[in-house]
Amino acid sequence: MLKKTTIDKLPDLAAHLMEQGTLLAPVQEAAGFNFQVIADAKQVDLNFHNTVLSPKAAFFPQMEDFVRYQTGKSILEAVPVELNLKPTFLFGVRPCDVKSFTIMDIHFSGTGLVDPYWQKRRQAATIFGYAFDLDQPAQAEEFYKTLGIGAADPDGSDVFMIRKGGDLLLKGVTLKGEKLLTQLSLLTAASADEEKYFEDYIIRGRDFKTRFTFLADKNIAKKLEDIFHDSDFWMKVSGACLSCGVCTFVCPNCYCFDICDETLFSQGIRRRVWDACMFTDFTLEASGHNPRTQVFQKLRQKIKHKYSYHVRKYGVISCVGCGRCTKHCPVNIDIFSIVEEAMKA
Amino acid sequence: MASSFKQIEDKLKTEAKKLLKTGQVSVVLAYGKGYDDNHPMPYIAKLPSDADNIVFNEYCTHNLARYLVRYPKGTKIAVAVKAADSRAVIQLIQEEKVKREDLILLGLPAYGMKNSKTGEIIDSQTTCGLYNPVLYDTLLGEEVHGQPVVSPYDVLAQYEAMDKDARFEFWKKEFDKCIRCYACRKACPMCYCDPCFIDQNNPRWGEKSPQSHGNLMYHLTRFHHLAGRCIDCGECSRACPVDIPLYLFHKKVAKECEEMFGQASGMRIDDKPVLVNFRVDDSDKILE
Amino acid sequence: MSFEPKILGIACNWCTYTGADLAGTTRLQYPQNLRVVRVMCSSRINPSFIFRAFQLGADGVLVGGCHPGDCHYNTGNLYARRRLAVTKKILEFSGIEPERFRVEWISASEGNRYAEVVTEFTEQVKQLGPQTKFKISR
Ligand code: SF4
Ligand code: SF4
Ligand code: SF4
Ligand code: SF4
Repeated sequence: MLKKTTIDKLPDLAAHLMEQGTLLAPVQEAAGFNFQVIADAKQVDLNFHNTVLSPKAAFFPQMEDFVRYQTGKSILEAVPVELNLKPTFLFGVRPCDVKSFTIMDIHFSGTGLVDPYWQKRRQAATIFGYAFDLDQPAQAEEFYKTLGIGAADPDGSDVFMIRKGGDLLLKGVTLKGEKLLTQLSLLTAASADEEKYFEDYIIRGRDFKTRFTFLADKNIAKKLEDIFHDSDFWMKVSGACLSCGVCTFVCPNCYCFDICDETLFSQGIRRRVWDACMFTDFTLEASGHNPRTQVFQKLRQKIKHKYSYHVRKYGVISCVGCGRCTKHCPVNIDIFSIVEEAMKA
Repeated sequence: MASSFKQIEDKLKTEAKKLLKTGQVSVVLAYGKGYDDNHPMPYIAKLPSDADNIVFNEYCTHNLARYLVRYPKGTKIAVAVKAADSRAVIQLIQEEKVKREDLILLGLPAYGMKNSKTGEIIDSQTTCGLYNPVLYDTLLGEEVHGQPVVSPYDVLAQYEAMDKDARFEFWKKEFDKCIRCYACRKACPMCYCDPCFIDQNNPRWGEKSPQSHGNLMYHLTRFHHLAGRCIDCGECSRACPVDIPLYLFHKKVAKECEEMFGQASGMRIDDKPVLVNFRVDDSDKILE
Repeated sequence: MSFEPKILGIACNWCTYTGADLAGTTRLQYPQNLRVVRVMCSSRINPSFIFRAFQLGADGVLVGGCHPGDCHYNTGNLYARRRLAVTKKILEFSGIEPERFRVEWISASEGNRYAEVVTEFTEQVKQLGPQTKFKISR
């Protein structure tokens, strides 16, 4: 059943959720919005377009401690770090980012080798999806429509939210979401009109315009495979690339990590940190050999991983068209333009 | 009267085409179209026909000197340089990373450059405050005159006046935001070390994880490595996805170096970088 | 209990370290707060050593080298002078007390001066109290 509240009452809603667990929601920071653990219910702000960093850190934090140990002591004395998770509410996730969670699930739990950290966090979380504002044009960087994602797709969310003027309409998408909504006493029932508005909005969202090129998954995967050896093409499109980590760190679908030991005197921590295919030491082998040293090779890897290898292995493009990589690239490299050019090459 | 961006762009196209046609250079480093007008990209022209794709507007802030070290020694390169970029080239020549005779510098006299993320004017705020390239072979436009002369170090006053504890808190807060994407070092024309100290595993200079202390180590050491070398283009700060004002610290170090050693970075080809140089009569006062 | 600072000393092999030896053999009294690391020349000191020392809990860092002009390698300390001056400015702008870092020229024959500098510096760092800004806490 569709529920509603007003935007003014957002702090109350936030406070209710905070009583039940950890609330992660967009907060205005100096460089833009980002998801943060909310300490003060008034911080929650839904007047954002999208966050700088993707919400993937909610399930795959940039830094995750696995084991604490003492150097020189037996491995048996090492202590695994326990995850003490409270129920988590991930509030205000845009549909493209919600979709990214389902793609990331493939790697962290879908292939038979389950990553307990991802899985536990994922199970503890209730996702509040939040439709884009269809009355505002999409940003120049975005292209989720190309990848078949609507601006108001509720799939993957537990609760889906649409804003209607000063009101916020909420609908339970999964059982978990629905149950939660019935417990939130400050929500009122929505009218039949609002119900219709909500359903129409979802449908309207599917036609919402972002940059668009028709892309058949299989064709693009094949095409990129065919031009693997066309170094001229790759050098041309990567000429400006700095091989920094921005595009991968902001991307909701990049999941590469490094496991490193950080020691302070005899105290050690073994932890996982984000890594990026753009970094020099990403492919550095123990022998000292590095098979991927040139910038064009790295950018080719990034694009082919998302649009080719991933499609071949798992049948889905590992990009949701959120446009973050383009928006934050220091030299304005646009993955979408490269993919378009590859189709023509 | 200074030339408009469009006039400069046209000259840049013509010049690039000429240089590539006559084979004087094999590469022209310039700017090209990005996904929209406010987001141009560094563009590498290799064929005379590529020159038609060149653009130049107020958002072309990138420092193209960054790409010079990528090419094998001896490659003949023409590079479009704004004021700070020309200083970067000079600094690279001083450091023997590139040779003057391999380069043709296409000077771009420009003011009113804007940050494409924020739309703010960057002249002398986050960059060195010069409008005309310090060194060039051809100046593609008229020299800029009559613009206010502002010291690039003026922006520091507020931070220098801070109490040290407040300043520590300020930097701690900024550095804590760092996600260690390393865009700052990658965008920097003077950061060409391979491997960078922070990527070394043995010895391990600082933590890899994006935590306060590792971030502090990375940034302080990087500021130090750029002492007397940073030419204040501000690219590091513009590259940063979380908007850490790295340029402030770099400016401060540059200012101190200039005061202590009497030489600004990247101004003359025959200078030696201040930290690989000394004077017997350097005063011990600088250590106080 | 009064605060006993931990101070890292980095001394060049030819002058300051030998000066420290002399201070020892002459049985001069000076505080024991300084832990000395010997390097071949003051110009061998990577500024990261100093940042790292503070991170690992040093309350002060004292660098000792030959007097300018006396460097065993002729010019090492002249480079070091410039470099460490920059280090000091960086420490200062980062917000840590610059008085926690000092560079002194102490020759092999200046055992007395060594003892004096160490005494004075230890006293100064003591006044400043524990260094917590850079120290890694876990
Ligand atoms: S595409 Fe842009 S963000 Fe990505 S590595 Fe290259 S320069 Fe960095
Ligand atoms: S590759 Fe770019 S557009 Fe695609 S999901 Fe990642 S950040 Fe978003
Ligand atoms: S440190 Fe920053 S301002 Fe200085 S040269 Fe490098 S990119 Fe430019
Ligand atoms: S660009 Fe910004 S976030 Fe990235 S490493 Fe540099 S300071 Fe940190």
